[in-house]
Amino acid sequence: MQKFFLYTILVIAYLGLAKALSPSEHGIQFLKNESQFSKILKSKNITVILIDTHATGFLIQTFYQKLRVITDYEHIDEMIVRTNKEFAKKNKDFIGLSIYRKSSDTEEFLPLPPGSLYIDNPEYGEWKTSKKGVIYWAFHKSYKNFPRYLGWGKFKITKDFFQQMKSSISLNRPFFGPNEEFGPNGKITKKNFPHFFGEDRKKKSDLKNLLLQYLKENF
Amino acid sequence: MAEIFDRLLIRILLAGFVCLMIYLYRYAHVIFYPTVKRQVLKRISPSENPADTLHLFARLIGISIIFSSISFNEASGVWLSLFHFGVWGSIAIILYLLSLFIIESIVFYNFDYTDEILKHKNMSYAFISFCHAIVIAYLTRTVMMEAENSLIILLVLWLYMLVIVGFSVKYFTFISKLSFNRLLIQKNLSLCFSYGGFTLGSGFIIASCFDQEHYDITIFCIQVLLKTVLSLIIFPIFKKGIVRIFPVRLGSNRSHVTEIESQMHTLGYGFYEGSVFISAAILTTMIVNRIQFGTIYPFF
Repeated sequence: MQKFFLYTILVIAYLGLAKALSPSEHGIQFLKNESQFSKILKSKNITVILIDTHATGFLIQTFYQKLRVITDYEHIDEMIVRTNKEFAKKNKDFIGLSIYRKSSDTEEFLPLPPGSLYIDNPEYGEWKTSKKGVIYWAFHKSYKNFPRYLGWGKFKITKDFFQQMKSSISLNRPFFGPNEEFGPNGKITKKNFPHFFGEDRKKKSDLKNLLLQYLKENF
Repeated sequence: MAEIFDRLLIRILLAGFVCLMIYLYRYAHVIFYPTVKRQVLKRISPSENPADTLHLFARLIGISIIFSSISFNEASGVWLSLFHFGVWGSIAIILYLLSLFIIESIVFYNFDYTDEILKHKNMSYAFISFCHAIVIAYLTRTVMMEAENSLIILLVLWLYMLVIVGFSVKYFTFISKLSFNRLLIQKNLSLCFSYGGFTLGSGFIIASCFDQEHYDITIFCIQVLLKTVLSLIIFPIFKKGIVRIFPVRLGSNRSHVTEIESQMHTLGYGFYEGSVFISAAILTTMIVNRIQFGTIYPFF
C-alpha cells in the first residue's frame, strides 16, 4: 500500500513537473470557448478567422486551432490556440469563416464570411458599380491588402451577397455565401487557405492502407 | 608512404601519452585510497588478494572508458592535441575519483575499505565496487561528451549526475528483498550480483537520460529531470511484469521464513534479481527515449 502511494505521488509529480517545465506548455494559450476571445485579444476592432484545425494524441486528444487575427491598420497575426473537444468540434465546419468579431465594445460569435465586420462600413470602403452593373464592395486604399488577408483573393463581395448575409444574421444562422463560396466546401476558402485541404490531411488511417504503405516503404 | 608512416608514429606517440596519463592516474588513486599506497606503488600481487585486484583494476577499466571519450584533433597540431588530452584527461581523473569517493561513501557508509578488502578480502564488496567503477565511468564519459569541451557545463552536469546517482543507489533498498548491509558483512555473492545488476541498470537509465540534444543548459537539465522521473515510473512496471512472466519459487509451500530467506541468499537468486533489474532498466530506456511523438510545438 505504501509503495502504491509513493508510485501515485511519483506519477502526479511527473505530470506536474512536465506541465510546468515542458516547452510545449509555453506560448500556447487555452481557449475554452468564444467568450475567452476577449481575454486573449485586447484590440478594439478584431476579426478572427479560423484557418486550420488539428488534433494530436491517441487515447486522450488535444485540439489545436490556427487563427488569423486581423486588427485595424492592416495588422495581421496568426496564432495557435489549444481548445477543448466541444469547441473544436463545433468549429470544424467553419474553416475559412470569421468566428469572432469585435467592434468597439460589441462582440459577435456567429460564423460569417471573413470581413463581414468591414462591409458596409464607410470607414473601411465603399460600394462601387462595375461596368456590368454589379454593385461590389471596395476597400479604401489604406486597406487595399484586406481582401488578401481575409482570404477573398480576387472574389468580390456583391450587394446581393451582403443582403443575404444580413438576413442570415437576423436568423442567427451561420452564412457560407450564396453559393457556399466560404467554409469547408467553399471554393474561395479552399483556394486561399489550402493547408487544411492538403492531400496529407485527407488520408484516412484505415488498417489496410496503413499496412500497404508500410510494406511499400519498408520492403 | 612518408605520410602513412608519420601518422603511425603519431598514433604510437599518442598511445604512449595515454599510458603516461594512466601512470598519473595510478598516483592520483593513492590520494583517495592512501591505505593502498604500499600495494599500488609497488608490484601488485593478484593471487594474494583477488578482491583488491578487482577493486583496483575496475578503476583502470573505468578510466579507460572515460579516456575513450576524449578525441585528438591532429589538424590543430600534435602538441596542442596532447595538451588538450592532458588537461581533459586530468579533469576526467579528478572527477572520476571524486565521484567514486562520494558514491562509495554513500553506499559503504557502514564499511571501511581497509577492513573489507585488505583484511577480510570481501569479494562481494569488491564486485559492488567494480560495478560502481564501471557505471560511474560510463556516466562521467556521457557527461564529458555532453559538455563538449566546456568546463562550466561539465561541472554543472557532473554535479547533476552525481545527485541523481546518489539518489538512485538508495533506491535499491526499496526494490530488492535482500538486506544490503547484513549480507555484505557476510560476503554474500547473491547480494553483489543483485546489486551489480541494479547499478548497471540504473547506469543505463541515467546515461540515456543525459544522452539528448543539447542547446540550452537549463532546458537540458529540465529534460534530464523529467526523463529521470519518467524512468522511475516506467521501471517498476517492467520489473513487476518480468517477475510475473518468470515467477520464481522460493522454498516449498509450507516453508519457514528462514528457509525462504536462505534460498534468497543463494547465488541463483542474485543472478535472477540482477538480470531482472538490468532487463527492466534496458526496456525502460527504450520506453523513455525511443518513442517519437513528433514535434513539440503543434506546427500545422
